[in-house]
Amino acid sequence: MRSRLHLQIPQVFILVMLVVLLAGAFHAGIPLGGIMGDALVRLVMNGVLVMSMIPMLNAGLGVNFGLPVGICAGLLGMCLAVNFRLTGLAGLFGAMLISIPIGAVLGYLYGRLLNRVKGREEIAGTFVGFSFISIMNFFWAVAPFTNPTMLWPIGGQGLRPVIGLQGYFAKVLNHSWSFRLGDLTVPFGMLVFFACLAVLLHLFFHTRAGTAMVATGENEVFAGLSGVDVKAIRTLAVILSTVLAAWGICVYAQSYGFLELYSAPLMMAFPAASAIFLGGSLGHRTAVIQAVIGTFLFQTTYVISGPIANALLVPEVAEIFRMILTNGVILYAMLYEGGRRRRVQG
Amino acid sequence: MNRRNIWMAALVAVAVLFCAGTALAAPKYKIGVVTPSLSASEDEFRGAQRAARSNPGMIRHLVLPDNFETEQETAITQILSLGNDKDVKAIIICAGYSGILPAIEKVKARRKDMIVITAPIWDDPDMMAKYIDLSLDTDWVQRGITIPTKAKKMGARTFIHYSFPTHMSKEVLSKRRDMMKQTSEKLGMKFVEVMTPDPQAGSDVSTMQQFLMEDITRQIAKYGKDTCIFGTNCPMQDVIILKALELKFIMAEQCCPTPTQGFPAAMNLEIKAEDAGNFDKINAMIRDKAAKAGCTGRLSTWPVPVGYFFPEFSVEVAKGLVEKRIKRLDIPTLKPIAKKVAGVEVSFAKMKPNLDNYYLIIIDSIYY
Repeated sequence: MRSRLHLQIPQVFILVMLVVLLAGAFHAGIPLGGIMGDALVRLVMNGVLVMSMIPMLNAGLGVNFGLPVGICAGLLGMCLAVNFRLTGLAGLFGAMLISIPIGAVLGYLYGRLLNRVKGREEIAGTFVGFSFISIMNFFWAVAPFTNPTMLWPIGGQGLRPVIGLQGYFAKVLNHSWSFRLGDLTVPFGMLVFFACLAVLLHLFFHTRAGTAMVATGENEVFAGLSGVDVKAIRTLAVILSTVLAAWGICVYAQSYGFLELYSAPLMMAFPAASAIFLGGSLGHRTAVIQAVIGTFLFQTTYVISGPIANALLVPEVAEIFRMILTNGVILYAMLYEGGRRRRVQG
Repeated sequence: MNRRNIWMAALVAVAVLFCAGTALAAPKYKIGVVTPSLSASEDEFRGAQRAARSNPGMIRHLVLPDNFETEQETAITQILSLGNDKDVKAIIICAGYSGILPAIEKVKARRKDMIVITAPIWDDPDMMAKYIDLSLDTDWVQRGITIPTKAKKMGARTFIHYSFPTHMSKEVLSKRRDMMKQTSEKLGMKFVEVMTPDPQAGSDVSTMQQFLMEDITRQIAKYGKDTCIFGTNCPMQDVIILKALELKFIMAEQCCPTPTQGFPAAMNLEIKAEDAGNFDKINAMIRDKAAKAGCTGRLSTWPVPVGYFFPEFSVEVAKGLVEKRIKRLDIPTLKPIAKKVAGVEVSFAKMKPNLDNYYLIIIDSIYY
C-alpha cells in the first residue's frame, strides 16, 4: 500500500497549487470554513463516481470512459423513483435499488462488447459512452413517464432536460446527521455513507471474486491458467463499475438537487478519470484510498480556485490551470504507462 | 345492369368532388420551418409544431443536427433540400447559430422568388440584410439597459453578473455586460462581475453549476437579499431560480427570458399534458409557487418564450408576403401581427439605422 501512495509529479503539482490557493484565500479574506464544508460535500458527491472506475481498472480494462452508460442507468432509476413519487431517503435508496438491475443488464452488454475489443477498451468505451447518450436522448424524449413535474412544459410529453428534486430527495444525504463546527458544516451522514461504500469496495477485493479480478488485471494468462474464467470476471468487473456509476450519479444528483438528462452526462467520465489519476493510479491496479485522495485533491482545487480567482481578478488564469491539470494528469498517466511498457519490453 | 352503372357514376362523382374539395382546401404552397432538435431547444421546436397545427398541410418542419457546430454541412444540405422543393415558397430558420448564411445564399441564387425569414441566425448583419428578406432577433444589447432598470424597480441595490471567458469574448454579450454596468451605476446600484468555470472551454457544465450553487450563497451573505442575479448561460438559470426561492434575492430576467426556462425544474411545476404550452396557466403556477416561497415581486420574465413566438410570427409574416397581403416590412406592419401572436405588446427596433429588414424585439415583462 505504501509503495502505491508515494508522491508522483501530478500530486506534487496539485499540492503546491492547493497551498498557493489556500494562501491566496487567506490573503483575500475568504472564509475557509465554508469552503472546506463545500469541499467535503464535493468529495462524496463525485467520490462514488470516481470509485466506480476501480473494478474495471483492477480487472485490467483500463479507465472506464464509458461512464455515461452507468450514469444513464442511475438517471433512469431516479426518474422511475420520481415518477413513483418516492421521497426522502426512501426516494434516494429506492432509486439506487431500481438502478441495480438496469445497471446490471447494461453492464453485462457493455462488458460483452468490451470483451470483443480487448486491448482497446478505453477508446471503445469512449465511443460506447457517446453513442449511448444519443440513444438515451431519444428515449428521454419519448419515454411514457406520467408525473407532470417531469414532463416538457410546452409539449407535455417526454422528459424535461432538467428535473428538480426538491420535494423528492434533494440533499437528503447532505442534510442527514450534518452538524456545524464554527462556520464549517460537516455533512456527517454523507461522509458515513461514503466511508461504508469505500470499506465495502475495499473488502470486495479480498473476496474470491475480488482476488480473481485483481489477478486477471495483473496477468490474464496466468489467471486463466489458475482456473479463473477471465471473460466472466471481466464482465463482472464491468457490471460492478456500471452499477457503482449508477449509484454515483444518484448521490451526485441528490446533492446537486436536479436530475440532468439528455447530453449532460456526456463528458462526466473525464473529471472522474483525472481524479483517479491524481490519486496516484496509473491506469492499472488501484486502491480505494487512491480514489478518495484523488477526488479530494481534485475537487478541493475546484472549490477554492473559483472564489480566489474572482477575488484576485484573474479568473482566466485559474481556468487555464484547471484545464492543464484535468487533461495533463490523464496525459501523464498515459506517458508513464507507455514508458513503463517500453522499459519492460526493452 | 343499369342500376350498377348509376351506382358507378355516383361513386365517380363523389370521388371527383372529394378530390376537388381537398385540392381546394389544401394550401397551394408550403412553408419550410427549420429549428434545432427537441433536446437542443424545446421552444423553437414546439413553436414550429404550433405553426404546423394552425396551418394544416402547409408547414414542412425540418430539424437541425443535435451538434450543429460539427455537422454544419448536414444543416446546409437540409436547407438546400427545401430550396429544391418547388412547392416551398418561403423558408423560416429559427436556429440561433452562425454559419447558415451560405446555405441561404445558395438557395437565393437558384430561386430568386424564395422568401427567407430568419429568427434568429447569427451571421454578419450586413450580409444577412442583403440576402434575407426579414431578419429578426431578440434585442440582446438593449436588454443591458432594460434588465438593470427592471431590477432597480424590483428593489435591487446590487447587481451581480455571472459569466465566463468564452461568453465574454462574444461582442454582443460583453457589450450587454458593459451596458448593464453603466446602467447599474447610473441608477445607483453596485455592479459586481463574477466569473464561473468555463463550460465551453473544457470544464463540463456541472462544474459551473456547482460553483454557482456555492458562490451565490457567499455573495448573498455579503451583499444581502436586495441583490439581482443575472447569469449569461442557460444551464445557470435552474440554479439561480432555485437559490432565489431559498435566499429571496431578485431574478429580473433569465438569459433567454421565458417561463419555461429554469422555473419548471427549480419550482417543480406540475404541468399536466392538457396544460402544456398554456402560458396563462404556467404563469399562474409560477406566481403561486413564488408566493408560497415568499418571493412575490422578486421574480420576473417575459410571459411567452421568444423562441416559441418567433416560428408562428414568422409563418404569419411569410404567408402575408407569399399571398401579397404584406407590401412593406416596416414596424407599423409587423407590430399588430406580433401582438396577435404573442398576446402582449412587442416592441421592435432597427438593428442598424441603415437596415430596413433587420429588426430586434423586446416583449413586455410579467412580474410574479
